[in-house]
Amino acid sequence: MLSADEAADLIEVIAARQDRAAFASLFRHFAPRIKAFIMRGGADAESAQEVSQEALIMVWRKAASFDRSRASAATWIYTIARNKRIDLLRRNARPIDTEDWLTVFAPEEETADKSILAGQTYTRVKELLGGLSADQLVVIQKAFFEDKTHTVIAEELSLPLGTVKSRIRLALGRLREALEKDET
Amino acid sequence: MSRHPAPEELLFDYASGALPDGPALAVALHVALDPDSRRAVERLHALGGALIEREIEAPIDDAVLARTMARLDDVPVEPRAVTAARRPGFEWAPPPLAPHLRPDMNWRRILGKFDEIRLDLPGDAYRVSLLRLEPGRGLPEHKHPGYEYTVCLQGGYTDATGSYSVGDFAVGPGEQRHEPIADPGEPCIALIVVEKPIVLTGPWGRWLNPLVSRGII
Repeated sequence: MLSADEAADLIEVIAARQDRAAFASLFRHFAPRIKAFIMRGGADAESAQEVSQEALIMVWRKAASFDRSRASAATWIYTIARNKRIDLLRRNARPIDTEDWLTVFAPEEETADKSILAGQTYTRVKELLGGLSADQLVVIQKAFFEDKTHTVIAEELSLPLGTVKSRIRLALGRLREALEKDET
Repeated sequence: MSRHPAPEELLFDYASGALPDGPALAVALHVALDPDSRRAVERLHALGGALIEREIEAPIDDAVLARTMARLDDVPVEPRAVTAARRPGFEWAPPPLAPHLRPDMNWRRILGKFDEIRLDLPGDAYRVSLLRLEPGRGLPEHKHPGYEYTVCLQGGYTDATGSYSVGDFAVGPGEQRHEPIADPGEPCIALIVVEKPIVLTGPWGRWLNPLVSRGII
């Protein structure tokens, strides 16, 4: 296992000195997870593996733009994997901007005291996921992993659109309330 | 905090990567200008990260790691990203807009009423434009067969649904007619993403609609 701090350290070591051993450790931890994550979206094992390889190579390329005060390693890697997946889905289209603006650039007015929260948010979200009901988790996983709009999810689960929306809202609302309570 | 944030479902679709390019750009600009929505998207990204971390690993052969490592020789670690300097006259443009603003793009006067820059995004399901309205001027009354997403980037405007200022987000559903008027002060600049060609409903509308549907105006 790799803790959030260890993962962030590895990315920083890549940025500082192109450390290949650090890359291998990150790869061993994240590539199989990204592959599983992409396969939930219906991709075959080979395409999912390609997305995870390309995502990890992007982690290497962009390591210097990672900022642990802005996002946890897993959060940052999530945005890269998400974008790589979209790139590969649209293989012939113009590739989208792989740098996620939010996790790369500091918003001017956001001060240091808020950025301390980035890592905490991730840790807390991980805890809170365990507290969701099975129904809520399924709806959120579908929304995340299957790249579907709410209308498509509603059709798949044979639920009215309003029900899907209210389940997502309920699940996200619980997460948000819990996080906001921490922040105040 | 803006009075008109983007709906939570739209922020979710943005964070999960489900939005097409046009609407995704609209949400990105809103998020750049609205700290609360930014916070919400950051939480959703953290949720994505936590879901990846929870995954049961799908096995990857050691040979794949070796092949990936072999490629690293040709991939430099790039220097830290910096925000590009804003183009003179475009200081109002939030950073996520910069990659879409080519140096040769400039305002074009439409119908003598407003200025437009048509952005060139992949895919043809959405028309993505920057519109600029002088204070007190309005857009011709129109309605939309599809969805319309608007983000205010400078100044403000008012229509039957309310008043919108910098960072505010509006989703125009379906058949609702509206006639936005720019507020006093600075010219109003907004990004407008329209799903299908708009339909003009005013007295000139039926003469102009063929031009709209052919993408001329």
